[in-house]
Amino acid sequence: MSEAVMTQTRQRKLHYRGRGSQVLIYLGKLLRGFVYQNDWKVMPMAALIAGLVSMVVRRDFFLTMEGTIKGAFALTCVAIWNGCFNSIQVVCRERDIIKREHRSGLHISAYIFAHMIYQAGLCLLQTIITLYVCKMTGMQFPDGKALFTPWLIVDIGITVFLITYSSDMLSLWVSCITRSTTTAMTVMPFILIFQLVFSGGIFTLPQWAVKVSAVSISNYGLKCITSQADYNSLPLVTGWDSIMKVEKQELSTTITLGEVMDFLQREDLPPVHDFRAREYQIPTMEKVFAAFNIDPNSNIGGTSFTFNELLALADASQAAAAEDPKAGTEIAPADEQPATFKIGQVIDTLANITEEQGLRDESYNFSTNVGQLLDLIGREKAETYVKTMTADANRKAFYAHTRDNVLTYWMPMCLFIAAFAILSVIFLEFVDKDKR
Amino acid sequence: MGIEVPQMNILQIIATIFFGGSSILTIVTQGLYIIGLWKIFEKSDIKGWWALLPWFREYQLGKCAGKEPEGRAIGITAFLVCVTEIAGSFIKNEYVILFVAVFEIMAGIINIVYSIQVYTGLIEVYNVRKRWLWLWILAEPIPALIWGFSDKYKPSWKAGEFRDNAVTHVKGGDVADMGEGLTVNLDKREVADGLFQKKTLLKDIHMNIKPGRLVMLLGGSGAGKTTYVNAINGYEKADAKVMLNGRNVYKEYAKMQYECGFVPQSDLMRGKDTVLHTLNDYAQMRLPSNFTSKDRKDRVEEALTIFGLGPVRNSMVSQLSGGQRKRLSIAMEFLSNPSLLILDEPDSGVDGVMAKELFKQMRKVADTGRIVIAITHTPDRVIDMFDDVIILAKDSDRTGRLAFYGTVDECRKFFGKERMEDIVKCINRPEEGGDGHADEFIIKYAQEVQHV
Repeated sequence: MSEAVMTQTRQRKLHYRGRGSQVLIYLGKLLRGFVYQNDWKVMPMAALIAGLVSMVVRRDFFLTMEGTIKGAFALTCVAIWNGCFNSIQVVCRERDIIKREHRSGLHISAYIFAHMIYQAGLCLLQTIITLYVCKMTGMQFPDGKALFTPWLIVDIGITVFLITYSSDMLSLWVSCITRSTTTAMTVMPFILIFQLVFSGGIFTLPQWAVKVSAVSISNYGLKCITSQADYNSLPLVTGWDSIMKVEKQELSTTITLGEVMDFLQREDLPPVHDFRAREYQIPTMEKVFAAFNIDPNSNIGGTSFTFNELLALADASQAAAAEDPKAGTEIAPADEQPATFKIGQVIDTLANITEEQGLRDESYNFSTNVGQLLDLIGREKAETYVKTMTADANRKAFYAHTRDNVLTYWMPMCLFIAAFAILSVIFLEFVDKDKR
Repeated sequence: MGIEVPQMNILQIIATIFFGGSSILTIVTQGLYIIGLWKIFEKSDIKGWWALLPWFREYQLGKCAGKEPEGRAIGITAFLVCVTEIAGSFIKNEYVILFVAVFEIMAGIINIVYSIQVYTGLIEVYNVRKRWLWLWILAEPIPALIWGFSDKYKPSWKAGEFRDNAVTHVKGGDVADMGEGLTVNLDKREVADGLFQKKTLLKDIHMNIKPGRLVMLLGGSGAGKTTYVNAINGYEKADAKVMLNGRNVYKEYAKMQYECGFVPQSDLMRGKDTVLHTLNDYAQMRLPSNFTSKDRKDRVEEALTIFGLGPVRNSMVSQLSGGQRKRLSIAMEFLSNPSLLILDEPDSGVDGVMAKELFKQMRKVADTGRIVIAITHTPDRVIDMFDDVIILAKDSDRTGRLAFYGTVDECRKFFGKERMEDIVKCINRPEEGGDGHADEFIIKYAQEVQHV
């Protein structure tokens, strides 16, 4: 029967399976390989890696700048690792088979396209598993920060998928170039190291390396996740943490009174400004005596006056002054005295006195510790100030939480995918040139 | 703190190129080394002046050692080291200097490793004690001078052998295309050999194989058997005209590749796929698209039956025995019903009984009007089933040549030997354990063909 068909067919113009049909044939092969060839093992591996990484980075991810950059770097590394290991061996391990099939009519472009479809599915599943595990292990994806979908986890999922898939295509290309699995696995660490070093997030890159990082997937992946996590709105805690580590550190220095006064008058420094703005109630003399354990009836050091007598004298003087405003010091009547005073007023008065009396150059040995200084300023305010100031210094335009920014990072990753796929086809076309 | 490398002057650059460095000590030692190499090259029938040319001398030394690729690698890496060294002295950017330095170190390491391989090869060629290796590594001018000037050291093999024997100019004649069967007029098949040379793998093969013939392809290793079959099915194009049933295989390769089936030596199939899936997929690839699904299934069933694979149709390929895998490999090519079926050592790794069984099936395939060409290294156990024999031999120029094509009986008569293995031994080169009569039979066959 088929012999007859063959003969008939030979007499007509022959057409063989085109690229489209071959894609389906190879897709079928790959799907069977997923089941029979243990390709499914990459799934639990993805879960395991995501779990391990998430355990470490989940706490500060999306909460602080450092936590976010570390988390984004870790997530990028997980995605690159998954992608690379998906396909690094797929072509080179069956290179001889491809060679045979190529001489039997296989179109290399169909073969690579089948791989692209299959690997896209694989990467998508790995992305879902990775983010699910991250979520399960307690990583919080804050609401209201998504730029493209209603959920931040989905936005980040798209990025993770693109990182995984572009790495996958990169490895596919490497697998097309190398002629054995051993060579492929030897090349692999170099790819990972390159991606790790040139991600640009963890390591500060010199100028020439910044240009090189333009061709690293990790660079775009990390920046994209960091942007999506709204890095620029987060506090930087490293500075404050470092200060707290030296809280007990003794400080000793010689300082002039003028320097102290100048510093305490600097309204442009927020902590000083806040310190100066602190308001205090003017205490009654009874409270003052009680605070310093003074007996009001005791004599004032070496004199015959008691404290109470001195106070009565002061009151009398104040009353006289009230009757005759020109007489005595300009002290407001008791009932008109302000109930509160600001530290700034005291400092300004002291600064005037210091200047008038020529005491600015008087130097003093100043000894304290960091903690006491912080207490002086106010811990909470100092913390807020340090965190805000250091965060301000670390804000970067390329981490801005905008759709444009994210699209700018997605685009190169899509280009990487296409470029590596095309390169894979080109290089694998030379499979026939392999030495026998 | 920046890195600074002193800039080289022109004399230093020239010295670095020719001697690998500009210090007096380097120039003197390398000068002595070059003198030694000159003499070593002459001993290997290579022109001595190659020793004067930087980088090429390393390549020629590799040839003397029978390690040509390694010699080429040394030449390239020596060139890279030299370039990086010179370039490094002109570069001001410290990052680029560091990069160049790392590159130079890498090239240097590769150079050392390949040099050791070449020295080891030289030791084997000169048949001396292995301890010479240390001297070559640590002070290469000394062994180069000793081996070059002392008559005590002679290579057992000469790299630059060139003969202009009678066999070089012997030529058969073109055969006319019969319109059916396989007509081969192969003038030569060359490949690049290094940068500026070409190596002729096959030369002057002309024959006409009629449909329905089972042909055995014999020859020693390196005689060009695989090159020949790749050339006739168009996979590796030669300077040739190959006609199959009146159609030019090279010009119509896109279509003709379905007319030529090639069964490789090793079983190139995916182990984690079932026999049925393997055949189905291959049928989809190889059969014309106007085949209906039913026709395709019928064809697969037919192949399963002919090659006795029915009982294992649902088994994984990796679970099949060697013989079953071989049969599956042939069945895959058989699916498209090719006019020309080529088998590269189908009986390798298969026992005698299985091999006979395999060739019986090939006989049946040939009897249906197809041409079946099989390469084998154990010819005598199956020769009875074959119609024709092609004998390829390596001539004294080390080029694959046609020593005989004809029927089995004619072959026996031509060589005066009964057993095919004796014939192969007779034409093999002495260093391969043969009698070295290849040239004699190549000339004899060419003369007979011309006479006819």
